[in-house]
Amino acid sequence: MNVNILMGTLVYGSVLALLSLGITLIYMTTKVFNFAHPRLSLFGAYLAITAMAAYITGKGIQPDLTVHEGIIPYRLAYPASVYIIGAVVAIVGGIIAAMVEYYLILKPLLDRGSDYLQLMIATLAYDFILMAVLFLYNTHVKIVSLLNKINVQSTSVDFSSYDLYIMKGYLTIPGDALYSTLIVLIITAAIYILLFKTTLGVKMRASIENPPLAEVLGINVRRIYALSWIISGATAGLAGFFIMMRPSVAGLKPISATSPADEIVVSAFAGSIVGGVNSIFGSLAGGMLIGFIEVYVTFFIGIATGLGAITKYSRVISMFAVGLFLLFAPQGLAGLYKKYLAPPPAAPELGEEEHEEGEG
Amino acid sequence: MAGVVLKLEKVNAGYGKLQTLFDIDLEIPEGMITVIVGPNGAGKSTLLKTMFGLTTVYSGRVLFYGKDITRLPPHERAKLGMAFIFQLNNIFAELTVWENLKLAGHDLPQDVFRERVREVFKTFPRLRERLHQKAGTMSGGERQMLAMAIGIIRKPKIFLIDEPTAGLAPKLAREVLANVKRLNEQGYTVVLVEQNVKAGLEIGHKGVLVVNGRIAFDGPARELLAQKDLAKLYMGVV
Repeated sequence: MNVNILMGTLVYGSVLALLSLGITLIYMTTKVFNFAHPRLSLFGAYLAITAMAAYITGKGIQPDLTVHEGIIPYRLAYPASVYIIGAVVAIVGGIIAAMVEYYLILKPLLDRGSDYLQLMIATLAYDFILMAVLFLYNTHVKIVSLLNKINVQSTSVDFSSYDLYIMKGYLTIPGDALYSTLIVLIITAAIYILLFKTTLGVKMRASIENPPLAEVLGINVRRIYALSWIISGATAGLAGFFIMMRPSVAGLKPISATSPADEIVVSAFAGSIVGGVNSIFGSLAGGMLIGFIEVYVTFFIGIATGLGAITKYSRVISMFAVGLFLLFAPQGLAGLYKKYLAPPPAAPELGEEEHEEGEG
Repeated sequence: MAGVVLKLEKVNAGYGKLQTLFDIDLEIPEGMITVIVGPNGAGKSTLLKTMFGLTTVYSGRVLFYGKDITRLPPHERAKLGMAFIFQLNNIFAELTVWENLKLAGHDLPQDVFRERVREVFKTFPRLRERLHQKAGTMSGGERQMLAMAIGIIRKPKIFLIDEPTAGLAPKLAREVLANVKRLNEQGYTVVLVEQNVKAGLEIGHKGVLVVNGRIAFDGPARELLAQKDLAKLYMGVV
């Protein structure tokens, strides 16, 4: 097993899982494929880079590349606050970009009764607008100079500040692999709790399944939709933060006004489709699977066939996987789970009224 | 004389740019069953939906206990005490029976909600047996029970029920209409849109005939039932 490739897979898979989750959530609530979604993450990344550069410069922080010895040796190039600021600003950036899209573009169109095709074209238009904004920003504030200022993408300092050297360095777990995977796991658990253990989650599931009935019961469906846009924007921003840290994963180009949003858009949608389009947990698994196929499987196909150049066509291989799913399992991973793994409907139980009432 | 729960004044309404209701003047009396009948596509369901804010009102006013609610969104009308039971998709099929009930009482204090759940179980004991079951896996009759239970939990001032017997076997349809009557006997005001004209008008106090988006008759249900030329009216010849 190639550990480096596996770690890269974890980072890339996590990024795709976060993006696929957002795409699926928006599709389930607003019934539109949001083509601007990967650009939302780039918007978040831009803001994060700017904030981190300002913070590092302002505080005069210098990177420290020393590996500290200990039971688990570690390196702390930047204090955690630098990364926390970056992540928080990326999330806020993603949310702002998503809110602008929902409230200024899609909601007015929905109120006028636009169909899904018009909404989809509108998301494409918003993608172009956002791209132009980032171009303008790049013209005035060179994003590459900011990246150099915070040393990310320079091979030596990114999330490697938090690399873990286990067994005296025989096994290195890169910081970004560790945190991106951890965050996806936390988000999965948080979404499960939100959807299945809270009244807000029940309202959300109800508004997704049957919006008119939810409205009839006094639930503000539009507010629930807005919440889904907030979650979607936040996860996109977070994905942008991880992309910014190590775009070299899966051959993504360094951050620019267009890259890597243009390259990752296909993979993010592939994750959503493979997940089953209408399943939040399916999208997380689908994103991870596509990441695994694009990085890990492609790498080994390259080795097995002696065609190393095949890694450049990793997205073609993931598209092939999408094709297979659409042909043989159109309901995606969620459908396969329901068919083969999900427990049968619970048998009716009697006399549990009091117990259930306590749950609310 | 009974008070007026809902009043429509010169209402013109439809979906988007398609107008389907014209100059509707109608009063819904308190504590009674008002049955709306008419041929297919006449605008019966649209009229009911207009009362609940699910259509576009171009002109006219909708009043609820004298308060103008014409521009009020459906979720606000629900909070005022209006309950709408759809013809189809009137439950959350992917949620359990318990989650459906919980959702219906989402804005109620916990003790009030518990009390109402007990009431529901008294009226529909079958639902108690199905508490943890996904609502979508229940039979058609049980689904209608749940749909009404959702309404009861909210203890609305008025029930707007859209063709509850559509697609049901005759025996089951009679059962559902008996449940509607029982609701009214418990003091609820009901507006019922019903395809089965005779069965609907038999349980109703007031009858409203809608033809081509206009009201062709508005009076006692028995009078409408006794109309010799009802078939003629029903066919759209006014």
